[in-house]
Amino acid sequence: MREDICQEPLLVVNNLTLKHRAMAGSTTILRDVSLNLQRGEILGLIGESGAGKSTLGNAILGLLPPGFERTAGAILFDGKALDGMDERQWDAIRGRRISAIFQDHTASLDPLMTVGAQLEETILATNENVSRQDARTRGVELLRRVGIPEPRERYHSYPHQFSGGQRQRVVIAIALAGTPDIIVADEPTSALDATVQKQILRLLRQLVNETQVSVILVTHDMGVISEIADRVVVMKHGEVVEQDVTSAILDTPREEYTRSLLAAVPRLRISASEDRKEAAENSDGRPSRDEMIESDATAPILLAQDITKTFAGQGLRWFRKNARKSALRDVSVRLGRGAITGIVGESGSGKSTIGRIIAGLETAGEGKLEIDGTSFDISLPGRRSGLLGQVQMIFQDPAVSLNPRMSVGETLQESVRFGSRQPGDEKPNVAVMMDRLGLPRSLLTRYPHQLSGGQKQRICIARALLASPQIIVADEPTSALDVSVQAEIVKLLKESVVEQGVSMLFISHDLALVQELCSSIYIFKEGRVEDAGPAEFIFSHSQNPYTRSLIDARPRRFTR
Amino acid sequence: MMSTVTGRLSQAFLLLLVMSLIGFVGIHSVGNPVYNIVNIETATAEDIRKATIALGLDQPLWRQYVLFIGNVVTGNFGTSYIYHLPAFRLVMSKLPATLELASIAMLIAAPAGTLLGLLAGRRQGKPADSAILKASVFALSIPSFWLSMMLILLGAIMTGWFPSGGRGPTVSLLGQDWSFLTLDGLRQLTLPALALAIPNIALIARLARSGTIEVESQDFTRFCRAKGLSSRRILFRHTLPNISVPIVTIVGMQFGGMLAFAVVVETIFAWPGVGKLLIDSIQLLDRPVVMATLTFVSVAFVGLNALVDLFYALLDPRVRRSA
Amino acid sequence: MKAETILALWKRPMGHGPSLPKFLLGAYMLLAIVAPLIALQNPYDPLQIYGWEASSPPGTVGTGGFMYLLGTDGLGRDIASTILYGLRISLVVSITSTAIGALVGLTAGVSAAYFGKWVDVVIMRVVDLQLSLPTILVALIAIVTLGPGIDRIILALIIVQWATYARIARGVALSEINKPYLDAARLLRLPISRIIFRHLLPNSIAPAITLIPIELGHAVALEATLSFLGLGVPIDKPSLGSAVANGFQYLLTGQYWISLFPGLALFGLIASINFVGEDIRRRLDPRSRSI
Repeated sequence: MREDICQEPLLVVNNLTLKHRAMAGSTTILRDVSLNLQRGEILGLIGESGAGKSTLGNAILGLLPPGFERTAGAILFDGKALDGMDERQWDAIRGRRISAIFQDHTASLDPLMTVGAQLEETILATNENVSRQDARTRGVELLRRVGIPEPRERYHSYPHQFSGGQRQRVVIAIALAGTPDIIVADEPTSALDATVQKQILRLLRQLVNETQVSVILVTHDMGVISEIADRVVVMKHGEVVEQDVTSAILDTPREEYTRSLLAAVPRLRISASEDRKEAAENSDGRPSRDEMIESDATAPILLAQDITKTFAGQGLRWFRKNARKSALRDVSVRLGRGAITGIVGESGSGKSTIGRIIAGLETAGEGKLEIDGTSFDISLPGRRSGLLGQVQMIFQDPAVSLNPRMSVGETLQESVRFGSRQPGDEKPNVAVMMDRLGLPRSLLTRYPHQLSGGQKQRICIARALLASPQIIVADEPTSALDVSVQAEIVKLLKESVVEQGVSMLFISHDLALVQELCSSIYIFKEGRVEDAGPAEFIFSHSQNPYTRSLIDARPRRFTR
Repeated sequence: MMSTVTGRLSQAFLLLLVMSLIGFVGIHSVGNPVYNIVNIETATAEDIRKATIALGLDQPLWRQYVLFIGNVVTGNFGTSYIYHLPAFRLVMSKLPATLELASIAMLIAAPAGTLLGLLAGRRQGKPADSAILKASVFALSIPSFWLSMMLILLGAIMTGWFPSGGRGPTVSLLGQDWSFLTLDGLRQLTLPALALAIPNIALIARLARSGTIEVESQDFTRFCRAKGLSSRRILFRHTLPNISVPIVTIVGMQFGGMLAFAVVVETIFAWPGVGKLLIDSIQLLDRPVVMATLTFVSVAFVGLNALVDLFYALLDPRVRRSA
Repeated sequence: MKAETILALWKRPMGHGPSLPKFLLGAYMLLAIVAPLIALQNPYDPLQIYGWEASSPPGTVGTGGFMYLLGTDGLGRDIASTILYGLRISLVVSITSTAIGALVGLTAGVSAAYFGKWVDVVIMRVVDLQLSLPTILVALIAIVTLGPGIDRIILALIIVQWATYARIARGVALSEINKPYLDAARLLRLPISRIIFRHLLPNSIAPAITLIPIELGHAVALEATLSFLGLGVPIDKPSLGSAVANGFQYLLTGQYWISLFPGLALFGLIASINFVGEDIRRRLDPRSRSI
């Protein structure tokens, strides 16, 4: 905390209650919310989906969509009430006094205008007596300040010519153009890879220190809060649960809800650094992959060797459709019987592609694949090579993983009926599986849109297990879920592997999750296996610089 | 960009081939054009035989087709059975009238539609929006031939403000005759142009409306407000350029559509354009002219689509770069 | 689509009765069905026509003692009866062609998406080619090739319509194919027919269903336009389009009713179809539901 704490706060929210009126009636979105913001501080607003944190951010910006209505309380900025102002009065506030950064850096910028022009128009709109020439000079200076290399040259580029992290830097530059007192940052790093996220947070902290701007940081991520927030407001269902300085919230939370949020965050465990050095000397920095394969005496259930896949030359239309899929180069993966093996990488690393190839959903140009001693020709479509049906998958987004026009019961029965059992094997029982996964049997007659995200993901797990596969590929199964639900799903996956005797490939971008679940780990980068080894080795002894940078990008607070 | 152009070209080529085959076989199956040329009452078998040979209709169908294709490659669609003029030249001579009509109609429809659409989109859910939406459904429900006739009834017969048909006096410019250069000519143009424009105003307005709603719901519009731009600047510098991409597409496609729908409007207003020529020729089984007209309109349509693609690239830097 | 959904579409929210367009559309259907029972005459039976009563204005009482409510045309046919009989043909032609066109187009589109490769190439080449031309032009080419007759018009309208359904269904099916639930279905190694009919088709037809009323309106308008141009329904059969055309030459001499009333009936029919279609689309498309 800073010494100017006793000053008059810059922004005060007093007992604010907001309702949303719709055809179906009115719902309370915010109830009796109070908080204040000091100059030059970063205030974190944290909560799970439906907490009302984004609504509060929008209310402070005067950007609530139609239908919202303030029924009690007030927002005071610099002593003046913000709500009830007309658009003209807002024009004098937005951009000049209060600005914003949104989550989706791609959607935040007009795709048809150069970033320079977008900066310039903001500078001209928010500052008096600025010539176009001055605006341009200032624009270049702002780009330089947010860390865009060669700002003068990049000034005339279009948004799509920047990387995701750079685009978010441009957005920050634009937010700063009117030298505002407050920036409302709504999930500013959630769409970015961990390493880039770290850099953007560092930039925000640096800008706050330099310019004394205040930041309201809306996020669902305790990690982000722990990295840069000075104080934290914990929200749940439109109400403030508790608020305090960050260290107090993290170390001595008073409320049960805060404790449960903190407990749900996966933590990375790293042994003392001396161990790491020692191990490095022993292994002479040799690639750990070989060691691992040699050390595993039993025959693996899955062995993929030197898989290579390119997307070029498959027709323009398909190429565009699959622009987000990544090519693979000489990828080898091995999965022990009854084990959970993790595949970690950032977006575009090819981690999902290898999962889909192993499941038989995609073909590959070269490489060998063996499941339980039987080899499959992965250059053929999965139905023809016989690979399809051997492996089941659990997908990232449960909202689109279930056929919306089939009831839960129909979906699960189909899985039982068409699953890959040997003749004579006992048919698994749907109801028993529902009990085991903690799902009420009454859900069997429901349709997917009537279920919560966590319930849907459990159904997906049940569907995969009911087909009695030997291997399950779980592709980011928790990243579309709230933290508290995430923890339950992880626990469930762990139990299922043990109870059902399946082996699992667990694909994730989250190191801590992988550490919690997996016995061995592959680190993917740009379509290649960058590092691999037993989990213990990777986290504590790996000397691979990319692995180290991934570990360093984790919030320190949740690493121990 | 090259791939788009070659794609369009191969599409046009394929189109021509299919069209020529269908049209050729089709007209052949419908009736024998000889009977439209000779006087049926007085003609002897000898007359009919001579006329058949003169038109080349004594040859087997496949040979007629090969001959036809060979001629088309050199730009020769044959000679009109009725007018005894080269078919292609006949079509070209009617083209200025149709182009003029369609252009004036689009000059009315594009700005009016865009404006109404923007208005409706910005006032989504308000009375102005639902009024424009309702009016657009009505406008799109009026069959164009009946709309033309009602325009004649209201604009010409009941009030006498505008002439009921024909092209009236023309002024020569660049070797072609045009109506829009004189006041009288413009009066002649008004009703048929309105008949073509009204459904297009509705179509463009609906598109502009949904485009406006979509663009305004996107994050960058919200960010523009958050960064302090006035709603006026957002409208003109951000919303309008972003909705112009789909609007240019529909304007290009509808311009081609107007060339085709001119068939109806020109017939009713006795406007001496390509559309009227087509209908007359179909009824008279004047195969060379039908083929030349259909081919021309199809090629013009594909050409317009190609132009729209090019324009797309000019408007959208993302397309420009990937090209 | 489930029966309740269709029922729910018909009912207005908060238990109001059917709206005006729905009522009008229902009335049109009913009139078309009972036309022979309520029409004064069969206007295309020469024995029932009195030539000397040609071009009577609305309200004239004729020889048979009946009042010509909407007047008679140039040949003495009762306009009200012509409209009733014309409605029958218009609706039969457009409903039949839309239904078959939708069926053909949906199957073709979903098949193209699922099978890909050459099936996709062949089907979509034809679709692209056809959709690159204005519908009226396609209809003209088709009718010129097929020749006159009611069955030919239906065929021509099917040809005009199927491509739109095929493109939409293929687009939707392609995006559905990329969704994980279909991956899950493939991972179970379900029979291809089960994947198509149980998983893919039910999720791909919803956008196509919203297309049906729009296309039905198009079909009615297109049939009328072709008949107006003398290329559609043969002249010895009643049609709203040719009824309007019959009055064209009388328009200039002030006998407006011959064209006005059949055209008005046609306009009302297309407008009520379009408004009902609009309503359905708004309810099925969640993005525009708030409008």
